[in-house]
Amino acid sequence: MGRQRLQSFPYWHEVILAAMLAALLVFARSVAPEFLYPGTQAEMSTHIWELALLALPMTLIIITGGIDLSVGSTMAMCAVVLGLSYQAGISPWVGALLAVLTGAAAGAANGVFVARVRVHPLIVTLATLAAYRGVAEGISLAKPVSGFPAGFTVLGLGSVAGVPIPGLIFAVALLAAAVVLGKTTTGRSIYAIGHNELASRFSGISVDRIKLALYTLSGTAAGMAAAVFVARRNTAKADIGQGMELDVITAVVLGGTSIYGGRGRIVGTLLGVLLIHETREFVSWQWSRDELILIVVGALLIVSVLLNTVLSPRRR
Amino acid sequence: MVVRSMMRVGVASLVLVALVCSGCGKKTQTGSSASVGTPAKSGKQFTICLLPKKKGLPYFTSCASGAEQAAKELGDVNLIYDGPTDGSPEKAASMIEKWTLKGVDVIAVSPNDPNVLAPAMRAARQKGIHVITWDADAPTDAREYFVNQATAKQIGYGLVDAVAKDIGGAQPTGKVAIITATLTAANQNEWIRYIKEHLKDYPGLTLVATKPSNEDQKLAFQVALDLMKAYPDLKGIFAISSVAFPGAAEAVKQSEKAGKVFVTGLSTPNDMRDYVKDGTVRSVVLWNTVDLGYLTISTAEALASGTLKPHATTIKAGRLGEKRIVGDNILLGDVLVFNKENIDKYRF
Repeated sequence: MGRQRLQSFPYWHEVILAAMLAALLVFARSVAPEFLYPGTQAEMSTHIWELALLALPMTLIIITGGIDLSVGSTMAMCAVVLGLSYQAGISPWVGALLAVLTGAAAGAANGVFVARVRVHPLIVTLATLAAYRGVAEGISLAKPVSGFPAGFTVLGLGSVAGVPIPGLIFAVALLAAAVVLGKTTTGRSIYAIGHNELASRFSGISVDRIKLALYTLSGTAAGMAAAVFVARRNTAKADIGQGMELDVITAVVLGGTSIYGGRGRIVGTLLGVLLIHETREFVSWQWSRDELILIVVGALLIVSVLLNTVLSPRRR
Repeated sequence: MVVRSMMRVGVASLVLVALVCSGCGKKTQTGSSASVGTPAKSGKQFTICLLPKKKGLPYFTSCASGAEQAAKELGDVNLIYDGPTDGSPEKAASMIEKWTLKGVDVIAVSPNDPNVLAPAMRAARQKGIHVITWDADAPTDAREYFVNQATAKQIGYGLVDAVAKDIGGAQPTGKVAIITATLTAANQNEWIRYIKEHLKDYPGLTLVATKPSNEDQKLAFQVALDLMKAYPDLKGIFAISSVAFPGAAEAVKQSEKAGKVFVTGLSTPNDMRDYVKDGTVRSVVLWNTVDLGYLTISTAEALASGTLKPHATTIKAGRLGEKRIVGDNILLGDVLVFNKENIDKYRF
């Protein structure tokens, strides 16, 4: 490859992430082989599904130049809806459906303000970050609900042919997001909005409709994440998912999605989520220091961005 | 084209994870019972995990220092002290799950949310790991023992003794009042029961009022002022919530009743240090947190090594001597009273 081609190679960021992941796993294997046993990995994967689910719509939203800060609070509100409906004697499966619908409604409300009222998404979702949490605490009176039937915990802990059920949900969502973003006109429109929203409007892209759909999708994902969480922890309460929005955004940005919009890929987000997950779990496994995880993940973000800048000077 | 090479990167990295994982899987057969911790120089080494409600709080850091002392003195303990720095119960549960996977010997939990932690604790027990609670309890089937720093009775009695001593004299006399959290707070009501019980042993002291402060420091301040107005000869106030105590102390300070009205309650030395130093508060009741950590690790080690037999009524805990076991509660013993003389020895 000539220098020219080397610099225009569009997957540097993904390659860097894959290399960092490989380095981490090789190191982990040499110091703590039991960390990589499939059983260990499967068990630890339960810690990441909520974040992984939320990262997919967040990637699409950030590519349009937007952001959704309310995902953690939406999760809490959906969990509380699930909990209260179960307490009222409704089957937890129906409750999970209600939770997903609640999430969709909450996301749609964000979308309406962003797309129709045209308030900046940072402000809209900052407001609903507080408001949805308030609703969650208000309607639950901050009381947790637990004691869901064992059949329901399958949603969080069960597996089909060795693959955890939340993992299957994630795989389907991942594929759908990758195809929509990479292969459809909608996907191209999403990039276009992030590059230049005004130009997109003039060229007939239904910007508002796409934005409304994406924020609704984000809320829906929060509803699903809430259902998975409640099933896994057997507890529905109003203080879950605190700070979740920042973890999700970190994973997406680590995955190479530009916070200014217009650039990003689902495969990058997948790698970002994987890298953060394995790093967190390994640091905690090996050194048992919770404070160290924050430092290492922060360093990871900086290193990946630096490497990317050094290797591909032509990319902004 | 774009999608194809994108897929290539994705598939390649997934294959990579799978390869590294499966490569290790093969080793599983030879070393499946691999347990963590450095191999013992002599005899077995026990890995004991100590989980606080929130890592980084001075209260828990002082507990951890006691735990380290015990680990060092015992010699056969590999101590892991870790907990969520943000106090999130989900993270705490994840840590218990990870320690279960590692196959540690004992997990000692101070549950910040028993509902969330109990399933993880039960799962750990099913895998044959000893689980105990300390500082706060969980459902009894989720743990074997609870290292109980102070029973409601010890707290109630300790508070009454502190006020009686502050008022002074062989027969302390005067009116006393209680400022509680809310009138329905379970812990506080339990303490109030024992406060009333022990007040009978001081016939000179009469309880004139029990007022709620609804976990609001300003309200506690106001309630204390009102009480001092309503009972000008009030001698003592039991301010028994973490915000009622500083609120009431501030009221006494501002109305310049220090030395006339004695406030006491449960708090950490750091929170009340200024009031103790300026003489507003004579006694702060709590327990020795260093000893709590020490006793927790002693208990964990005794459990792992098998020296703690079921139905035992005492346990030998190093420099603390013999400690009583009541049912499945291991009792730390008497409360600790901080005053002007000793408060600077405690930094939490």
